[in-house]
Amino acid sequence: MAVNLKRSSGEDSDGGKTSRRKMLGWLTGAGLFGSAALSAVSNFVFIKPRATYGQPQRFSVGKPEDFPEGTRAILASRGICIVRDGARLAAISTTCTHLGCTVGSADTGFACPCHGSRFDQDGNVTGGPAPRPLPWFQITLAPNGEIEVDKDIEIAPGSYLTL
Amino acid sequence: MRLALAIGTFFILVIHGVVFYNQFGHQWERNQHTYFDQARVFAKTDAERAALNGRKPRIEQIVVSNFGETRVDRCTTCHIATDDPRFGSYAEPVKTHPYSPALGDQQKNGKWERRHKFSEFGCTVCHDGQGRGLEPEYSHGKDEYWPDPLLGYATQENWRKDFAPKLKGKEYMQANCAQCHTDTAFPGTALVTKGRGLFFSSNCYGCHRIEGLSDGTIGPDLSDVGKKWKLDYLWGRIADPKSILATSIMPKFNLKEEDIKALVIFLKSRKGRNFAETEIQRFKVKLTGGAELVQATIKPVQINPAEMLKQGEKLVLDRACTACHKLGDRDGGIAPDLSYEGLEKDGPWIYEHFKNPKSTMPDSIMPAFRFTDDEFKAMTAYLLTLKGSPAPAQGDAIYKALCLRCHGEKGDGQGPIAEHLDPFPRDLTKSGFMNSKPEARLVASIRNGVAGTSMPAWGKVLSEEQAKAVLGHIQTTFTKEPRRELKAREIPAKNPVAMSQESVSRGETLFVNRCAGCHGKKADGKGPNSLDILPKPRNLRNTFFVNSVDDRRLLESILYGVQGTAMPSWINDGLTNNDAGDLVNFIRSINSKPKGGQNAGAVQ
Repeated sequence: MAVNLKRSSGEDSDGGKTSRRKMLGWLTGAGLFGSAALSAVSNFVFIKPRATYGQPQRFSVGKPEDFPEGTRAILASRGICIVRDGARLAAISTTCTHLGCTVGSADTGFACPCHGSRFDQDGNVTGGPAPRPLPWFQITLAPNGEIEVDKDIEIAPGSYLTL
Repeated sequence: MRLALAIGTFFILVIHGVVFYNQFGHQWERNQHTYFDQARVFAKTDAERAALNGRKPRIEQIVVSNFGETRVDRCTTCHIATDDPRFGSYAEPVKTHPYSPALGDQQKNGKWERRHKFSEFGCTVCHDGQGRGLEPEYSHGKDEYWPDPLLGYATQENWRKDFAPKLKGKEYMQANCAQCHTDTAFPGTALVTKGRGLFFSSNCYGCHRIEGLSDGTIGPDLSDVGKKWKLDYLWGRIADPKSILATSIMPKFNLKEEDIKALVIFLKSRKGRNFAETEIQRFKVKLTGGAELVQATIKPVQINPAEMLKQGEKLVLDRACTACHKLGDRDGGIAPDLSYEGLEKDGPWIYEHFKNPKSTMPDSIMPAFRFTDDEFKAMTAYLLTLKGSPAPAQGDAIYKALCLRCHGEKGDGQGPIAEHLDPFPRDLTKSGFMNSKPEARLVASIRNGVAGTSMPAWGKVLSEEQAKAVLGHIQTTFTKEPRRELKAREIPAKNPVAMSQESVSRGETLFVNRCAGCHGKKADGKGPNSLDILPKPRNLRNTFFVNSVDDRRLLESILYGVQGTAMPSWINDGLTNNDAGDLVNFIRSINSKPKGGQNAGAVQ
């Protein structure tokens, strides 16, 4: 490297010494700032864990035949409700947007037992302290014929999977 | 100075870059991108494509708590297409896990349905490996320090090269199938069933204990051997026990390679607490209505006096005596021939030997098996009926038929079973020994046997002439040197020193000073020098042997040495007749306690 630097300084018209010094200063600065930037980025990336020890967020809930027409099945362990409307399927969260209780089904939709929040069939807030409607999760038909729900991806309420 | 600083910082930058790349540029991310790209090509609807576009590479994991400890299997992070039937013909890792009726998978309306769903079972429950690992080296277990490498797939760098190729193949996974499918005849675990059979038919059960199966106490407990050891170790310990532990007393059994494989798979399935006894039992009852757990244990046979012989024969053959001994066509190649047992031994001796092999043969390696007294009696009765076939007349034919198994083809005491006998068979090529003993004594050794050793008394098989014929054959073929006239020796016919406490203590002092180097402090023939000596120093605590020789012979051996062995002539080293007499008294005194015999009364 030393040889290369000398050569580059030799080609410079302003005089070798200052150019070489500048060049070295530039290299040192780039190295230090580059390392600092990289460590900063890695530190920020590490703040969010890549994997946690909970159940996976993307999971299969069974075949479409398991949910006949008109079903509103609450899967308590997964925290979702599978809704079948004709040939359309949707997965609505059953975690209350207020303080995270698990909502139960009610005649008009969902009702939270903790503080009395009420939601309609599509998860929109109809009463109580809940600040937001219940989120809908992405629901797809996996290639092996089973329904897959991905709780990491929220989709707009009212978007169904058409079988 | 500035240059050094510049180079230094540049170097730090490079290191940071490498670390950054290694931390964030994962192979599994590239695998997932490959999968997403290919899946987009396969996608039929826009919605499907949109869903795929929404997916970013991330760590996929299956958390399974049904099987023992909670498992976290992240295998599907790389093997992301395992459950996507469109990737059947692709290369690993982005490949569909094969469907097979053998795994219980069913085809319905042209679509396969898995019996063992990955979301319920995970991956490592069948395959082993480190479920949490995200790099092939760690997750597949190529690293020698990981306890459970991928069963039947990963062979490790440090595994013995000649074993390594034999440890590949999906059959090895049967060991894990058997964690849940414990039924003895489960079709999916044929090799475990075979191995379990071999565990009994090769007599492993005689020495080893497996909880619920056997009660052997000589070898290590194998109840959780599959959890402790990897395939190569199990294979090595069975195929060649001494290659892994030089001091192992386990004999090398004559097993075919496929038998070793079955045994390795069976042992690998022994993990102590298997799933069948835990939470899985409930899971299983839910799925199948619950198949009963069957354990193959040995039940004692009710002996009927009228059919004693037949039952004895069946016991001897079924319970794998021939895994070591020879009997007719069956030959384990480890222990003596039983074909002439009825002519060599008497009932009390055999019964005694069954009850406690060491009580009649102090250095025997035979395990004490757990039979009932009636079963032992029946087996004794059967063995007493074994008379072999009449011995041939020619010396060389006799040698081949009766002597070769122990004394070896070359007569050097290195017969096929010699290494399992203690004391070793006599090396017949040592002319120093053979020619320093009178013919009458050698014939007596053949016809009366040597007490306390594996040399049986051939007196009822070989006549005086036959014994002389075989001795002649040995002298001409192996010893080769002609018999010399022996120098006359002055040996007292009787011990010159009377037995007394003082004499014994004088003898003990002499023994510790002069003899313990080879014969050992305990006089058991295992002194520090004994390792380099062949024939081994005599075990002077072998009561049967010591009682079978008279004072004159002991005195002769001490005073004039034993030619052809390492025993020196002590008369040249300043021992007097009286000193030798004290030594004989000491040797007699340590053998004077009655040994064994407590069971002999039971058999007439």
